[in-house]
Amino acid sequence: MPSGQSVTTAAILMFCGGLVVYPLVYLVAESFNVSGEDSFPPAEIGLGNYADLIDDWHVLANTAFVACLATLMAVAIGFLAAWTLTRTKLPGRPQLERLMQLPYYMTPLVGALAWSIIAAPRTGFANQLWHGVGGAGDLVNVYSPFGIAWVMALFEGTVAFVMISAAMKSMDPALEESARVMGAGKWRTMLTVTLPLVMPGVLGATIFVFAEMLGSFAAAFVLGLPARYVVVTTAIWQAVQSFPPDYPRASALGIALFAVMFATLSLYRAVVRGGNFATITGKAFRPRTMAMGRLAWVLFGACALYVVVAVVLPLAALLLTSFQRFATVILAQSEFTFANYEAALGFGAVRAALTNSLILGVGVASIGVAVMTVLVWIIYRSRAPGHVVVEYVVMFPQAVPRMVFGLALLWAWLNIPIPIYGTLWLLALAYFTVLLPLGVRTLAGVVLQIDKSLEECARVCGASWFYQLRTVTMPLLRPGIIAAWLLVFIASVRELGVSIFLVGPKAKVIAPSIVSSWLSSSSELSAALALLQTAAVFIALVVMFRATRRFSGEPL
Amino acid sequence: MSEARIEISNLVVRYGDVVAVDGVSLTVRQGEHVTLLGPSGCGKTTTLRAIAGLEEPSGGLIRIDGATVYSAAERRNVAAEKRGVSMVFQSYAVWPHMSVFDNVAYGLRVRSLPREEIAREVERALDLVQMRDFARRSAALLSGGQQQRVALARAIAFSPRVLLFDEPLSNLDAKLRAEMRVELRDLQRRLGVTSVYVTHDQEEALAISDRVVVMNIGGIEQIGTPEDIYNRPKTRFVADFVGSANLIAGRVQDDAGDPGRVTFAAEGGPTLQAWAVHPPSGAEDRVAVRTAYIDIALDAPNGRANSIVGTIRQRLFHGDFIQYIVDSPVGALTVRRPPTEPFDEGAAVTLSFAPEHCVLLEG
Repeated sequence: MPSGQSVTTAAILMFCGGLVVYPLVYLVAESFNVSGEDSFPPAEIGLGNYADLIDDWHVLANTAFVACLATLMAVAIGFLAAWTLTRTKLPGRPQLERLMQLPYYMTPLVGALAWSIIAAPRTGFANQLWHGVGGAGDLVNVYSPFGIAWVMALFEGTVAFVMISAAMKSMDPALEESARVMGAGKWRTMLTVTLPLVMPGVLGATIFVFAEMLGSFAAAFVLGLPARYVVVTTAIWQAVQSFPPDYPRASALGIALFAVMFATLSLYRAVVRGGNFATITGKAFRPRTMAMGRLAWVLFGACALYVVVAVVLPLAALLLTSFQRFATVILAQSEFTFANYEAALGFGAVRAALTNSLILGVGVASIGVAVMTVLVWIIYRSRAPGHVVVEYVVMFPQAVPRMVFGLALLWAWLNIPIPIYGTLWLLALAYFTVLLPLGVRTLAGVVLQIDKSLEECARVCGASWFYQLRTVTMPLLRPGIIAAWLLVFIASVRELGVSIFLVGPKAKVIAPSIVSSWLSSSSELSAALALLQTAAVFIALVVMFRATRRFSGEPL
Repeated sequence: MSEARIEISNLVVRYGDVVAVDGVSLTVRQGEHVTLLGPSGCGKTTTLRAIAGLEEPSGGLIRIDGATVYSAAERRNVAAEKRGVSMVFQSYAVWPHMSVFDNVAYGLRVRSLPREEIAREVERALDLVQMRDFARRSAALLSGGQQQRVALARAIAFSPRVLLFDEPLSNLDAKLRAEMRVELRDLQRRLGVTSVYVTHDQEEALAISDRVVVMNIGGIEQIGTPEDIYNRPKTRFVADFVGSANLIAGRVQDDAGDPGRVTFAAEGGPTLQAWAVHPPSGAEDRVAVRTAYIDIALDAPNGRANSIVGTIRQRLFHGDFIQYIVDSPVGALTVRRPPTEPFDEGAAVTLSFAPEHCVLLEG
């Protein structure tokens, strides 16, 4: 048994390591390429591309500014919502808690499109109404650094919310109660016990969200480019799209972004590991909630408002636009039509993109989750040597910005004589790699809950490993597998960062198609596509809630 | 039900640099019920898991029924499922996704027995643990005590050669634990299956075992019948860990080198008649006297062997017994007496105990 396991572990390690590391090697090499022609290995290497980054200082400054601003807003949203929903008595809390998770599934691309429809200068709905009532100039302008940060914060706010409320929920209420018993008042308890215990969680969420902001592309793309406000990710995109493509510059930008993001995530790990105190025991407590009186309705309103601006308003704007010939909020002027959906669902490139996305979603989820299950078992159950390394390799893609990984794959497979560039196969491989951390984390949550002796008992009863896997392990893992399948499916269907570099004329997928239809300035068709994508995601989401609720009360 | 003999010799189990089991040798006879007793971290569970095949040892030999299941020399380690043993886990490990029937039938189905036989054996096993009416119930809906019974039924259903128990009663409340002890002992006698039981509860170990193996820091301190372990503790650790005992410091006076009666000069004056299980080597410096074996009387010492005068410093009423702390020339002694004839705090008393209850410990 051990030797067989070691061989499997080694093989999987090689495979995953190859998937993750191999493209990055190409990217690093290209970032040092100063020969002026694209070849691997570069004919001449030097630090020139990195030196050129200094000329791009405004891009770096823009990135830092937007990321900081967006992080600040997202953490503020997350903290307030987490505190409200875990620590105060609130009407309709369970429903609200579930609704709070929706923005995460909306995707920044869809959100950015919607908000550009709502608040673009001149043509945005808000400004149309403003002009309609005689206002001069623009009421709001989302094509600005603040607009970008606003949209990013709306959709990362949920992440901050989930992380901070986890920290708040894992705090033993007895810690606060003992402070109260010792004679400390409400506020003193809050300042001396609650806050210090929750701080590591808040700090961790802040750093994590900041890393995500650094690598995010969609909002800066949709809202930044019209205002010529460029951040690193959009600069990479421009460098690749320019003619001739400037791969060395894109690579240097990408590697620099990757380095910063990697450092940030390392800091995150250190904070989460170091600041644990007694708060994280793995146990979820039901914290004491405070009665807030009338303030409860204000807090309820604030949470509800968040859901409205992050989900309801964008979806409504998209819905209205998708049925119009020209986007307008003044209904008397609007011409309603099904043409956008006909264009989306009729025969053509767009329909092919939709179909491809669904095929990829199902395929990557099915095969991917099977492989991930084996991986999780090796990482958390086997004593095979190297299982720690496997965990590290598997979680690595999380530290690589999607854009950068897409660029690395593009560059790597252009230089390889295996003809899968521009096919769905490469997309599938890319999705599998970047979604490894998501799937593995979801499955690990379930595996770690299964007591090891449940499996050992099967062996002692005489079951072989496969028999045990079939009759004990797999049935116990089923809810986790269903959840992982749907999450991977959702993430595949909405994938943009990697896809945008890997789609070809014969391999189109939905998110890049939304981008190109946006670029050809058809916000109406984009709205229809965005809604179709969102519908697919939400259907999967409903199935997931149904399927997992049967097994546990916990939403994912 | 066939029975098997378990032979363990020189077993070593390492976790990295930590030696969890360090050279354990032990033979469990056919049909015998042996308990490994010791504090947490003493290597008892690791030894048990090595017998089951769930832990890979790094040295030694394990034989079950004459067949070598582990041998460091032959580099042989038979997989858990091929050893024909069965185990009851501390966490019960009752599969929550199956019914009670499916849980108990598992080992029989693995062995591809005919359907009728499976039904019959499951029924028999559930009868033994009085869980017959629960067969169709989902295992997720059972109470702790019921899970315990199902785990037991599952372990015996496929007639294993050897039954292993890993602290099976430690998660039950005190009353249920006492009941299950009686049932386990009864069941074990009826089935006559060779079994190895692990516990840190000395009362449990004494009550249900044919023989007890006291373990400490990866090694064996003493092997013997429960009476042996209680009455004739070999080492200070055993005297301390099993039951409650007074340790009196001193040295052996007449060094005749014979087992049997020896004279022991206690520090603080009195000379005691003690019992040596092995010929004394001269290095011994302590005797052990069980707290329950000391008599208390109000009259003066009258020349009986092992009489010590003292004053009752403290009296604690425990219900089933009264515990006295008595200050004496050999130090404070703890004495447990039945609550029928209480003595007052501050009373001057004479303590006495028989020479065979004053056991010389190995140095």
